[in-house]
Amino acid sequence: MDKKNTSGSQGSNVGIGDFKTGNTQISSIGLGSCVAFILYDRKQKTGGLAHVMLPESNGRSERPAKFADTAVPHLIHEMEKSGSSRQNLSAYLVGGASMFQQFKGNLDIGKRNVIALKHCLDEHHIYLESEDIGGTSGRSVLFYPEDGGKICIRRADGKCYDL
Amino acid sequence: MDINDQQLDMLREMGNIGASHAATSLSQMLMSEIEMTVPEAVVIDISDVNDVFSEEIAAMVVFEIQGEIQPAGYIVYHVPKLSAIRLTNTMLGSTDEDRELNELDESAIIEIGNIMISHFLDATAELLGVVMLPSPPMMTINMALAAFENILAQVAVDINEIILFKTELKSNDNDISSTIIMLPEEATLQEILRLLNNLITPEI
Repeated sequence: MDKKNTSGSQGSNVGIGDFKTGNTQISSIGLGSCVAFILYDRKQKTGGLAHVMLPESNGRSERPAKFADTAVPHLIHEMEKSGSSRQNLSAYLVGGASMFQQFKGNLDIGKRNVIALKHCLDEHHIYLESEDIGGTSGRSVLFYPEDGGKICIRRADGKCYDL
Repeated sequence: MDINDQQLDMLREMGNIGASHAATSLSQMLMSEIEMTVPEAVVIDISDVNDVFSEEIAAMVVFEIQGEIQPAGYIVYHVPKLSAIRLTNTMLGSTDEDRELNELDESAIIEIGNIMISHFLDATAELLGVVMLPSPPMMTINMALAAFENILAQVAVDINEIILFKTELKSNDNDISSTIIMLPEEATLQEILRLLNNLITPEI
């Protein structure tokens, strides 16, 4: 049994493969190759964040926020359930770094996550408002929907900035 | 994940043997006593990995486990930033702690990790009667959790629960703390359990 099915996480931090929606602060710490996929409803000042780990679900459905291709429709659906209209949603992407230059094989997962997410956003006609992706630094992200959708980023190299 | 308490105990014992050998090699390199915690073997959901690793900056030396069982998983030598500085300071006879980690630190930590993890895997492999070798090391100085995510993305495609072995090694003389973490692939875990089971069950 999958205990975390579609409930989303408790508390403010969104763990790997999990998601959260609402109007209070949502955060995701220590993003490496994972990507924080954020949706913000400009009209209702609500939002959602999914902590995406891999690009393709290949039919796996038990944890939609874990994979880019299932996270996008799932988070849109969750936002619509709480009253959002699709045309008021804008998307933001944070993360997708490449932590180990030497990793061999299929390994720029961070980059592949970002490509997959952008592709899905296009498919679902969601506008990508802004992004902070790639590089070699880990990132933590804080998202404040009720504060006009403010997004603060803290990077492993010590830099802090708003998206 | 289908794993019982007896199996977890066996895995802890295996981790104990590996970590003791790693601790001995660290002790020789630092010429100081190393205190080792009882190894933990924990089953954890991927969404709770932030209970194990934080966004604190650390040196992370990562090895893929190679050898007879493929793909076997990963093993990580994790040293928080200040401990990493103290670690190389101790080896190089320096005392300046108020600095950033440089290339010299990186090389030293990679080498220390390499030696320790080789000892860890040698001892584990000997116990199990299989060949287990570390890949060339990969290293990053980064948020520990962020670095671990990259490894997790290799292992946890099909699974949502992982098993982690974790042992902390401490040098009280030099105030250095570091951790060895092993993340076996699901198939490896089953193979390790089978081999361990053979060890404790006398053949008829």
